Amino acid sequence: MYMVTLQGTQEQFECKKGEPILRAGLRAGFGLPYECSVGGCGTCKFDVLEGQVEMLWPEAPGLSDRDKRKGRMLACQAVPLEDCIIKMRLDKECIPPVLPVNRSVGLIERYKITHDIEAFRFKSEGPAIFKAGQYALLTSPKIEGARAYSMSNLSNDEGIWEFQIRNVPEGLMTRHLFDQINIGDKLELDGPYGVAFFKNTGRDVVCVAGGSGLAPMVSIAKAFSEDPACKEHTLHFLYGARTPSDVCGEDMLQELAGFGDRIFYHAIVSNPETLTQDEWDGPVGLVHTHIYDVLDGNLQEYEYYFAGPPKMATAIDTLLLEKYDVASSQLHYDRFF
Amino acid sequence: MTLVDLVEVCTLSEVPDGEGIKITIEGLPALAVYRVGEEVFVSDDLCTHGDASLSEGELDIEDYVIECPFHQGGFDIRTGSVAGAPCTRPIRVYEAWIKNGLVYIKKQDL
Ligand SMILES: Cc1cc2nc3c(=O)[nH]c(=O)nc-3n(C[C@H](O)[C@H](O)[C@H](O)COP(=O)(O)OP(=O)(O)OC[C@H]3O[C@@H](n4cnc5c(N)ncnc54)[C@H](O)[C@@H]3O)c2cc1C
Ligand code: FES
Ligand code: FES
Repeated sequence: MYMVTLQGTQEQFECKKGEPILRAGLRAGFGLPYECSVGGCGTCKFDVLEGQVEMLWPEAPGLSDRDKRKGRMLACQAVPLEDCIIKMRLDKECIPPVLPVNRSVGLIERYKITHDIEAFRFKSEGPAIFKAGQYALLTSPKIEGARAYSMSNLSNDEGIWEFQIRNVPEGLMTRHLFDQINIGDKLELDGPYGVAFFKNTGRDVVCVAGGSGLAPMVSIAKAFSEDPACKEHTLHFLYGARTPSDVCGEDMLQELAGFGDRIFYHAIVSNPETLTQDEWDGPVGLVHTHIYDVLDGNLQEYEYYFAGPPKMATAIDTLLLEKYDVASSQLHYDRFF
Repeated sequence: MTLVDLVEVCTLSEVPDGEGIKITIEGLPALAVYRVGEEVFVSDDLCTHGDASLSEGELDIEDYVIECPFHQGGFDIRTGSVAGAPCTRPIRVYEAWIKNGLVYIKKQDL
């Protein structure tokens, strides 16, 4: 156990041997800045002032060459080798609403959603407590580094953690999940993490999912449907698919109270060149270009949640902030690195 | 270009070499003015990634990059383009001139 001290404050937390500083800090309730937890976004950069700290994944894309030259590290990949003092500006937005815990889970069910997305249900001993839209980190002793997967269900006492995972042909964790583990097999699940979770702000809601970004948006739609305070509000769910065979999610929303009445689903296909009208007669193009058409009135009055490829997230961010002057505090997203 | 098309931002001597300062001018977003030797550059002061003031960041003079003090994202102060994660949207930059020790930016950029 090592002690990590945040420079300029009296704040300290304990970090287990081999545990990334980010996770230890969040577990202790501190708002260490982060987004992805897996080395991709660069939000968790920090400077080491004293003590030896090692990067588990030195090539993580979240660090630029300039960062490396300056000796900067990513808290989600850095483990202390002794007591240390680090420099990092805390962010109250990142204070975990539920403290993340590492536990073992067993696979209990698995089924197909589309030709390349499958649902995986795991069960833990204790309850599964998280906010709608958050993710968990899965690790396997055979694979270096953790992988983030967003829960598609809601917090529950039964300990059910439901994921919707895309089959990435060459992906290490994907191959492990799809080809190697069987019902009853155990994995390590650490969570919940993620700051793009559902908060009822009294505004109408927009969810935009691209590809495997489906899961957290489905979870948010479920939370919205069940929240009595949202009864007077609408939720528009946009799903960006590459081809018609990738379109999914509508059946999950159809089960929710308020579907068709205050919850609306829109699928958009981005790769229309290969299509005939019989295959797809719905909207085509990149999903963000349809946000304006789908919504009524002033775009500044909605709360936006989105998840999927980093490029999609940047396109939505740019559109809403720069073209429609939406406040950045109304935008909540996860980029799937 | 006549002086009429220009807005006076500050004096050159106010800006320490190798650093940035924040300038507020009524009717404009807060500006960050950077100095690299005898060159000046001007951008919006608010980072495009979050609530942080770029003028409080570290200026890397050899590659003309301002690093945000919050998550150490970066921008090229010459073009505004992103030079480091987690930033994804470029920062607005203003063409700047020095005349008689005063720093100006072009009016139509505003
Ligand atoms: C916040 C978040 C939520 C996500 N939610 C979902 C979801 O709901 N459904 C879904 O299908 N996918 C989701 N993803 C993507 C998912 O985490 C994986 O990237 C994807 O499944 C591919 O993983 P892989 O191991 O199969 O592929 P690989 O190509 O083997 O690995 C890809 C990822 O693993 C990490 N990585 C690679 N090498 C190392 C290393 N040496 N050390 C540490 N890390 C390394 C990197 O983050 C890299 O992007 C999410 C990603 C993020 C960031
Ligand atoms: S949180 Fe560490 S790089 Fe994204
Ligand atoms: S606020 Fe500037 S990098 Fe995050």
